[in-house]
Amino acid sequence: MLRTVKPRNARSKRALEAREAKEVEDVRTAIFVKGTHTGEILNGVMKELMALKRPDAISFSKKNTVHPFEDASSLEFWAGKNDASMFLLGQSTKKRPAGLIVARTFDSRLLDMCELGVDNFVSMAEFKTPKSTPGHKPMMHFASELFDTHPRFVQVKSLLMDFFNGEVIDSICLPGLEHVISVSIAPAPSLQTANPILGDSQEDDVQNLPKIHIRTYTVKLLPSGTRVPRVELTEMGPFLDLSLRRHQAADPEMWKAAMRRPKLKKQDLEKGLGKKKKNLEVDEMGDLRGRVHIAKQDLNKLQTRKMKGLKSMPVEEDGSSEESEQEDDPRQKKRKRD
Amino acid sequence: MDVSNILASHAAKFQSVTVEKETPLDVDTGFLTVTDLTPIDEDSYKSNLEEYLQVTARDGIQALVAALYGLPTQPSPDGPLAQLPPPTTQLPRAKPLPKPKPPTKWERFAAAKGIQKRVREKKVWDEERQEWVNRWGKDGKNKEKEEQWIHEVKANAPVDHDPVKAARDARTSRVAKNERQQLQNHARAQTAASGRDERKKDIERTLATTRMSTASMGRFDKKLDGEKKLRGVKRKFEATETSVEQEKQASLAVLSKLDGDVKRTRKEKGAGDDALNVRKAIRNVSKGRGGVALAREANKKGARGKRGGKR
Repeated sequence: MLRTVKPRNARSKRALEAREAKEVEDVRTAIFVKGTHTGEILNGVMKELMALKRPDAISFSKKNTVHPFEDASSLEFWAGKNDASMFLLGQSTKKRPAGLIVARTFDSRLLDMCELGVDNFVSMAEFKTPKSTPGHKPMMHFASELFDTHPRFVQVKSLLMDFFNGEVIDSICLPGLEHVISVSIAPAPSLQTANPILGDSQEDDVQNLPKIHIRTYTVKLLPSGTRVPRVELTEMGPFLDLSLRRHQAADPEMWKAAMRRPKLKKQDLEKGLGKKKKNLEVDEMGDLRGRVHIAKQDLNKLQTRKMKGLKSMPVEEDGSSEESEQEDDPRQKKRKRD
Repeated sequence: MDVSNILASHAAKFQSVTVEKETPLDVDTGFLTVTDLTPIDEDSYKSNLEEYLQVTARDGIQALVAALYGLPTQPSPDGPLAQLPPPTTQLPRAKPLPKPKPPTKWERFAAAKGIQKRVREKKVWDEERQEWVNRWGKDGKNKEKEEQWIHEVKANAPVDHDPVKAARDARTSRVAKNERQQLQNHARAQTAASGRDERKKDIERTLATTRMSTASMGRFDKKLDGEKKLRGVKRKFEATETSVEQEKQASLAVLSKLDGDVKRTRKEKGAGDDALNVRKAIRNVSKGRGGVALAREANKKGARGKRGGKR
């Protein structure tokens, strides 16, 4: 559908190559779109989330009529055109006030999405505390056992991690750890993970699902006696209370394709990753050592080097040979010993 | 000798930085994430929500920071750089895995011979001028021979030997050879990807189009030996006498298509034309007012036309 652009100069060719798929991916760029009606709360929420997501955020200035749960084609078009793979749509209707839809794409097609309703929002401006530098990677903290068990919360955790922290990096500057995004769930004793009798009664339980609290704090590392500093948190940043609404889980085929990992390279194997390969180990020097197992050897049938000079001489005549044999024997014995 | 005091004081030092929890925290240093799987304590939650959240967060982050400071570090001007391990949680990719490209002819040869790839620097040392000059590009050393004002010419050279032209021709031929080799590599990669039959079909299709792309649409051109006869589109004509029912159906179908029902056009928006972006076309023609306004205008004009209008 999107016309394929043919590069006309080296710069456009480089830009096109930067958009191609890579083994280790870059951060997901997020597009912030407003629907036909967004209230003041939603405007504030989207502005703050964009501040946290900078510089990998694109904000659409116009309002768009888009209903992703019915028709995801606009999302796919925007994802392809802007080379972005996450969406944050804000839409406030009478039935669903202050609704925020978080969506992810794979291969320019919609992967999964979740609608969250903003119940309470405290903006960054209301905390007169120092803020973190934009562009720094946040630390994330998830506090509840439901993030591992309940499928909806697993999806929410995956979406939030992908949104804030999805990039794989190999080293981080330790003094640069400045802020934390903490996500917790309210207690709900009446919640069961999956009722086997009723089966999956999904959206009927939407009201029963506990709320999610998102808190952002700045981190202060105080010197303690040891190498590890003591952590002190100060409130900063947006405080959000969200409730779960509709969602769309990923198509299992697409999810499987999206979760494919590249084959492990030699360096990773040496680091000890991947399937535990037998007979391979990394010693203290950091070298990869292997063990070779060979079958038991029969030393009698050992093939050694042939030394022609050491070979026993052939017998010549009978007469002289007897004497010479007797003489020869000790000589031969001597040679053999040598 | 009583070392218990020393041990106790040593342990006390670590007290402020260790965190004790019932279930161990799941720390993913690769993504700088910590998950605390202890169930929420309802009483402290209800009494003071913010404080409880902050305390749990502090504990979790303390554990994460302890893990991060335990990683191997490298010094850097901004502070210690911790080498992060690959992350444990798996997140879905945004684009599918890239397909491995087949190696080019040179890459295969280099792999077989064991030649390492060496990237050459753009600057090269010029002994005469005693400075670093570009190897290629602006004021590049590769154009030195062409830009010289004096040339040494061999004694047995022909009279009209132009050293500048010779140097320029050599450079352009090298560039042309490189481009040709790149095209060949590209073609080889493509053929490796697609099969032989696909290529054959492609070639036949292109040939058919070229035969039609003449002034007479391929009708009065001489045919070469070995070329296949071009297949044309067969027109289907209805019989002159059809039943009344069939005629009625046909006329009604035509009428319904002509109707211009607004609702139906909106429903058919999904199955659009690939060559035409309907949404953009409507926006352009209606000057941003939309399809409904266009339909309204068309009806108004139609009505006026029927009455006689400006005439």
